Amino acid sequence: MNGYSSILPLMAIMLPFLAAFIIALTGNKALGLKRVLAVIFTFIPLLAVILLFKPIIENGHIVSYWLGNWVPEKTWAIGIGLEIDAFGLFCGLIITLTCFLSSIFSIRYMEKDNGLEKYYTMFMLLTASMIGFVFTGDLFNMYVMLEIMTFAAIGLTAFRNHKYKSIEAGFKYIVIGSLGSSLILLGTVLIYAQAHTLNIAQISAILHGNYNAVTIFALALMLTGYAVKAFLVPCHTWPADAHMSAPSSISMLLSGVMSKTGIFGIIRILYMIYRSKCVAAPSMEFLMIFWGTITMLIGASMAIIQTDFKRLLAFSSVSQIGYVIVGFGVGLSAKTSVAVTGTMGGLYHMLNHAMFKSLAFLCAGAVLYRTGTTDTTKLGGLAKKMPYTTVLFMISLASIAGMPPFNGFVSKWLIYQSTFEAGYWPVTIIALLVSVMTLAYFIKLAQSVFFGKIHKEHENIKEIPWSMRVPMIVLAAVCIFAGTFWNVISDKLIEPAAYAIYNIQGYIDVMFNKGYAQNMFNHEIPIPKMTRAMAGYWSPINWLLLFVVLIIGFIVIASLLSKGNKKESIIDLSDTKYDTFTGGEKEYFSHMAGNDLFWGLKHQFRGYFKTLKNAHSGIVNDYVLWVAACAAVVTIYLFAVL
Amino acid sequence: MDILVYIFNILIFPGFLFCFFFGLLLSGIDRKLVARMQRRIGPPVFQPFYDFFKLIGKGHIIPRGAAKKTFMLAPIIGLLGVVIISMFIPIFGYVFIPRTADMIVILYLLTVPAVALILGGSSSGSPYSGVGISREMVTMLSYELPLVIILLAVGSKVGHSLGEIGNVTFSLSKVAEYQSKNGMLICSLSMIPAAIAFLLCIPAEVGTVPFDVAEAETEICEGPLVEYSGKYLALYKLMSAIKMFIMGSLFVALFFGGTGFGTGIKFLPLNTLLMMILVIITISISVSFLRAIVARIKVEHTLKFFWTVPTALAFVSLILTYVTTL
Amino acid sequence: MFNRLIEKSRAKSPWIYHVNSGSCNGCDIELVALLGPRYDCERLGIKLAGSPRHADIVVVTGPITSQSKDRVLRVLSQVPEPKVVVSLGSCPMSCNVFKGSYSVEGPLDKWTHVDVSVGGCAPKPEAIIDGLIKAIEILKEKRGLNNV
Repeated sequence: MNGYSSILPLMAIMLPFLAAFIIALTGNKALGLKRVLAVIFTFIPLLAVILLFKPIIENGHIVSYWLGNWVPEKTWAIGIGLEIDAFGLFCGLIITLTCFLSSIFSIRYMEKDNGLEKYYTMFMLLTASMIGFVFTGDLFNMYVMLEIMTFAAIGLTAFRNHKYKSIEAGFKYIVIGSLGSSLILLGTVLIYAQAHTLNIAQISAILHGNYNAVTIFALALMLTGYAVKAFLVPCHTWPADAHMSAPSSISMLLSGVMSKTGIFGIIRILYMIYRSKCVAAPSMEFLMIFWGTITMLIGASMAIIQTDFKRLLAFSSVSQIGYVIVGFGVGLSAKTSVAVTGTMGGLYHMLNHAMFKSLAFLCAGAVLYRTGTTDTTKLGGLAKKMPYTTVLFMISLASIAGMPPFNGFVSKWLIYQSTFEAGYWPVTIIALLVSVMTLAYFIKLAQSVFFGKIHKEHENIKEIPWSMRVPMIVLAAVCIFAGTFWNVISDKLIEPAAYAIYNIQGYIDVMFNKGYAQNMFNHEIPIPKMTRAMAGYWSPINWLLLFVVLIIGFIVIASLLSKGNKKESIIDLSDTKYDTFTGGEKEYFSHMAGNDLFWGLKHQFRGYFKTLKNAHSGIVNDYVLWVAACAAVVTIYLFAVL
Repeated sequence: MDILVYIFNILIFPGFLFCFFFGLLLSGIDRKLVARMQRRIGPPVFQPFYDFFKLIGKGHIIPRGAAKKTFMLAPIIGLLGVVIISMFIPIFGYVFIPRTADMIVILYLLTVPAVALILGGSSSGSPYSGVGISREMVTMLSYELPLVIILLAVGSKVGHSLGEIGNVTFSLSKVAEYQSKNGMLICSLSMIPAAIAFLLCIPAEVGTVPFDVAEAETEICEGPLVEYSGKYLALYKLMSAIKMFIMGSLFVALFFGGTGFGTGIKFLPLNTLLMMILVIITISISVSFLRAIVARIKVEHTLKFFWTVPTALAFVSLILTYVTTL
Repeated sequence: MFNRLIEKSRAKSPWIYHVNSGSCNGCDIELVALLGPRYDCERLGIKLAGSPRHADIVVVTGPITSQSKDRVLRVLSQVPEPKVVVSLGSCPMSCNVFKGSYSVEGPLDKWTHVDVSVGGCAPKPEAIIDGLIKAIEILKEKRGLNNV
């Protein structure tokens, strides 16, 4: 366990920080050097995470490292400790993979902007702080990393500061993000005051069973603070603007990955620090499931009425985070087999969402790169000019709608099954409905942007360069792989992570010595058994065989049937018979896009949509009021039930 | 030898060829019935077969503004999805792919033909097809909700009796097993509202009057299919016909299942015959009868209708399964 | 091997598309009456298609007015092969009472090849059915072209 594997997490965190400073020193020159440094220093954490697979996942250890060698003094932790269990490694894998792909995408994507040393510096800071956040075992260190992450993200959101929308988005993000961070700081301070230590493992050992009003208040504050980071309703208002204005290689990180850090924080609090209060507690289960359901619904409803590509994707992220929270909410249930299914569903959906949402944002970035706009009312018919982007977007569409054999299906199935078996059948129905709404707005995007008629000014665009296509192809390949070989991913990644979430004893023991946890708790904490028996039951290999046989059958029949005369005449494309049928009129520009679609739905629910639209007024004061109201409601609820 | 049986199952029975013949036959019976109800003679029962072969022999034109590969692939994807569903539905105890949680798979696979229609229309690049796909999407949104609740109701009734985890089962083979022991599900009072709601959802799925606003012939010139011709159109018509067969046999498997001329594969031809007769009865009630009587309703009324009447009926069923043991 | 089947089907399932190029609607009403219960041409397999791309037989009514000439020709070109053009009524045959008007461009066979003409103003439904059956015969003989 010791040996080189303890130094790997430290390297994974420190090296990108170092790269950030080096890049800042280079100033305006040496763009090539900056790009190379960025790619290399995002690849090294990925390598570190992959090398950490063997000790953590295969051998089941938990890697720990005390910074500066400040080991615990008389079983009292005084230093900052890094502690990586399988759950931290799982999140670390998502983060490092997407950051690496984003750095490759940025090579060509950002070539039209200047001031790139600031971009790369903040990018490396973002990467380093995210990895630091998931690898740390110290509560205040989590806050520090979170702040670095927030400020780097704000800087990157407002990067293109010649557009007013970037600055406005940055402003909203500062205000609301700082509010969230302050709530987290307040909660951290209160916990420190009660527990006299900052090490997560020790806090959970000390607080186990000794909860008082101050710690419950701290729980409420930290939940709200992390909810702002993970954009749960009603703290979901900042990503709509932020993800729209940020450069796409950053939007994919903000939307796909930073939200996962918020959820990571919530999991650490609920499942580890407040374990005996939250796990197997029906009131907490109800809170998380209710919160998740509202997030799903409002995210999807707002997404249907958007016209901007990236803003729609941001609201879609809000909706999918709702799914993840519902999964983890079920994981707090008292029936252990159902709880495990829920946790596995939530974890799998975290992975899937990072993959397909990043792919969707990269497609949006590709479209923006070539056409200069993301307004769906001004785009159309890009499928003929950008075929690769279209196919990759279709893969993302199929994944997010949950079609077999892509990855969205597996995770959504786990969530449906677990919510129904936990007894929350309205949530299953709402989740299925939101899934169909997700399909609806993605099809709206596909029709408005990629199919239909092409505008005159976009007649001459070309496909995006290869260095931009490669990250998208990698993400699409992961989507397909995670869908067809889901048992491999479940074995290697999901089950160890779910086990690690419940394995609070092992977590504590690693920091100190064995038996410490046993002394602090009076009993052994049972870890639910993870069996595969509850996950979905379809074996994709059979399906692939089926597809292949059917396609062969079709080809045989089709070739038999159309064996008639095949005259190869010259096809004159300007012949009127290739025009679109418009009742005989000469072909003119008439593209059904953007807000023209789904009239029936919008008409029927016009009251509901109007209320939602007016509620998202764009005034920052309103949004801050919502966050404060959310904090108040959560506090009152927790005091009432705990 | 196993592989040969497997391929036989996929391509011939109950896979592609069986669906092909029976789907088109069903579509022909539907047209004949509607004609008789309207006091005319109507086309011969094998008319859809003639339609299909004629379309295959016709030339096709791919318009200039269409995205070619999606245009050509969309009907094939739809057809594949629909044929795969047919292999999941049990025929009185004989299931080709026995799985333990297939209702959700079927629900998701049922969206594949609708999405294939939408993609095909989308890639045509015509404004009529744009309107058509938007209406098709709204129709899909409207019928998915009652369908989900019906499947949950049936699943929870069977699961409750069999004592599964969480009192729900998602497996059609278990539903078939339950019905062979305890009688058809339609005979139990709590399932009748769900059966009626399902009968109302079938025309929306299949795309016939009164819910065929997506393919409105006269209004938007066939909607998503406006630019299709020749063999691609033939594949779409085939997909629509097989979908009618799928929905009918799903209804039979859920509500009329269990009986049959004995269990097991020995009596499979007789079981299949019984299933075919029941499917014809189902389709004639829910599709033909409605088609002959009513007119097409607008898209926002479709949404309003499906989210009130069949949803309420399905909810009544779901609540009755929890409350009583009827 | 399937050719015979395809040819037989072509005769048994002709789909119609109706183009009105400025007619007085008399022939159109007779055509629509054809699809009703009394004259029921659906027993012959005839169906009214919504889009010209789905049709085999194109039925044109009305004298070709100047405003509609381009559009009629465009629609006719958008019908895939094999197709049969039927002109319904005396107007497309000889412009009937509108001959010589400033806005009528002349009989249909000045602009495109017409296979069957059904005369009358308006022709009886039985005459229209007779014309359609003749069109089906002609359709049976036309070969399909399998290019794009």
